[in-house]
Amino acid sequence: MPQRPRPENTTVATSLIPDPFQMWREALTKLEGNVNSLVTGSVDSQELMRSMHQLSTLSLGMQQAFEKAIGAYLARVNLPSRKDVSELAAALQRVEDKLDLLLPTGAAGSAAPRPPRTRRPPPEEVAAPAAVAAAPAAARPARAAKRTASRARRRS
Amino acid sequence: MSAATTKEKTPEPALAERLRLEVERAVQRSFRSIELLGAAPPTVGRTPKTVLHRRGTLSLYHYHATADEIYRVPILFVMAPTNKAYILDLAPGQSMMEFLLARGYDIYMMDWDAPTDAERNLKIEDYVLDFIPDCLKRVQQDSGEDDVTLVGYCAGGMLSAIHVALLPDGPVKNLVCFTTPVDFSKMELFRAMASDKVFDVDKLVDSVGIVPADMVRAGFDSLRPASRVAGQLRLWDNLWNDEFVKGFRMMERWGNETLPLPGAYFRQTVKELLRGNALYEGTLKIGGRKVDLAKITVPFLHVIAQYDHIVPPACAHPLVERVGSRDKEEVVLPGGHVSIAAGANAVKRMWPKLDSWLQRRST
Repeated sequence: MPQRPRPENTTVATSLIPDPFQMWREALTKLEGNVNSLVTGSVDSQELMRSMHQLSTLSLGMQQAFEKAIGAYLARVNLPSRKDVSELAAALQRVEDKLDLLLPTGAAGSAAPRPPRTRRPPPEEVAAPAAVAAAPAAARPARAAKRTASRARRRS
Repeated sequence: MSAATTKEKTPEPALAERLRLEVERAVQRSFRSIELLGAAPPTVGRTPKTVLHRRGTLSLYHYHATADEIYRVPILFVMAPTNKAYILDLAPGQSMMEFLLARGYDIYMMDWDAPTDAERNLKIEDYVLDFIPDCLKRVQQDSGEDDVTLVGYCAGGMLSAIHVALLPDGPVKNLVCFTTPVDFSKMELFRAMASDKVFDVDKLVDSVGIVPADMVRAGFDSLRPASRVAGQLRLWDNLWNDEFVKGFRMMERWGNETLPLPGAYFRQTVKELLRGNALYEGTLKIGGRKVDLAKITVPFLHVIAQYDHIVPPACAHPLVERVGSRDKEEVVLPGGHVSIAAGANAVKRMWPKLDSWLQRRST
């Protein structure tokens, strides 16, 4: 994996006494890189991967157990959970979106602008590049015929 | 006076000035850290848009045009199912959507919300043969144009490529992929974590149904385990810098809003893509049909990030080799998996390249 170049805004100490703050920042970057490399270099270690999965499974299990306990408590005291409220908010948002689509444009607020589809690339870009020029000649009439047919269908 | 002598005369004042600056920053840090504790989440995704369609985990947006005239061919972006699309619309001045709208493109976006338990059985088939065609049809109806450019980011690019390979005579006129994986054998750490010797994916999926966002995020974090802590330390170090803090918080919010995944989709990704490398090997079957990337013949652009730690360049390179298009191009740009599309330098590198490629193919 190629290494990232040094960020452009880092300052280089011109003093004979090293800049301790810059040294600290560079040490942090180096430590981060070393730890990351250590882990990514351990791809062959099944034990490490197994341990990571066990940790993840344990964390997930504890989270599920906690959520279940909290859910049971909230149900007992007749209160909605955060998940219930989020789902309700999402459902409400969907209803509002559908209403916006059903209501007349003026009532729903300003409609999205619909400018004409007449834009062309800047003049210096119009000359076809080699890659496009190398496209088979047969492909262009086929696409043009497809566009003509689609315009005819829209007009009819 | 020589340069060496000049340097010898400045050491103490330079260090004293640096010390003064650091003390000043330390004071600012203490105030800003208190502000940060109570700060609301940063506002993102502010470019005006209309929700055209919502269906479960899927949302289709249409961004409001800002140019006086637009290109004929609309663009449909396909975001990766693991993340929110606002990474491409972080803030004014740091928004690919804003950039492309200003240059006259008509943009639609397939975005995702957390799937509900009822969507636990969604598979790649559903994304490729249902969601994408459905959104293409809606884009055609809304825009009045038959041709559509499909742009996919990461797994969104993979889903887009599979869709076009299976439906090569569809309405997709151009295909663009960013940092899209093809050869999963080059994702060494992900493959090691997904190995059947250490990970029972069936047990996980059968027990949870929807793979939790924490687990998905932990998978990405494990590629750079020290980076989250290092990031927090850098945030503390730069608390005096409003621009740094703003940018950091927006990226952090996006990372924290990693989405959960339908279990069936996750199982398929692990078994067929990570373990079997079926897309690269040409053995992937979606909807009963083999996915042959050579069936893609539309103009194709693949943008690869040189320092991508999630989709290494070696994992992404084969895509441009495999597609059957004659008009095809691969561009490798400096940047990471996210910064290439959404970082501060994207406006100088990737976005202009995308614009120059699209403008000749959007008329």
